[in-house]
Amino acid sequence: MDGDSSTTDASQLGITGEYMASGHYVLQSQDDDGEESLNDHEDGGIKENFREQDIYLPIANVARIMKNAVPQTGKAMKGEKGMPGVSVGESLGEELTDDSFTNPLPAGIITADGQQQNVMVYTTSYQQIPAVQQIQFS
Amino acid sequence: MKMSQNNSDKDASNNKTISLPISRVRLIMKSSPDVSSINQDALFLTTKATELFVQHLALSSFNNGSGKDNNTLSYSDLASTAEETEIFHFLTDILPKKILARDYLKSLEQMQEEEADN
Repeated sequence: MDGDSSTTDASQLGITGEYMASGHYVLQSQDDDGEESLNDHEDGGIKENFREQDIYLPIANVARIMKNAVPQTGKAMKGEKGMPGVSVGESLGEELTDDSFTNPLPAGIITADGQQQNVMVYTTSYQQIPAVQQIQFS
Repeated sequence: MKMSQNNSDKDASNNKTISLPISRVRLIMKSSPDVSSINQDALFLTTKATELFVQHLALSSFNNGSGKDNNTLSYSDLASTAEETEIFHFLTDILPKKILARDYLKSLEQMQEEEADN
């Protein structure tokens, strides 16, 4: 599943390397052109694009399961139902104050003490601020 | 099957009903290139296991986070649990902690100042 383009590299195949040694080649349906987009990863080579609602479990069902799992909650916020990248500002009402920052920035930052901390940077409004967009993560 | 509310909580893990659509689970399973055909029992078990996992994640996050305080499960509870509980470590990329852009920019400035001092 790596992006490595050599489909016949025996080391990637693990146990099937034994078969490779004899010179016979195994047909691979996977298209190893190095692309790791979600769609390619999903269907293993057939260029079919799935919509988000097709590849994830229905949020209503998941919400119901979560709600029933948790003892008597008052509310479950919309953003937590396991969908990555959702809830810009939706589930964080109490933390948002002023600000004119933009859409979520890429995840993963290096904090002051040098440790890489996996975070998702989010903002509180939808105005565009080019300076913020240009910040590079080193 | 027991109908009272108290008992249904306990039975939720033991009963044979599932809440997730089997067809969707099959679709997701087949998206893995190594999978060709799927046994019906395996499909059912995977669906049930997924449901139990969601329950486990939700409950762990609830108890780990705000829980008794405001009776709410929030995204930050999930993100904290993913980071702190070992069995949920694989979720850290999917549920990263969130930081206000303002705070991020501040810590970036601090980093740059420290580099300038050195």
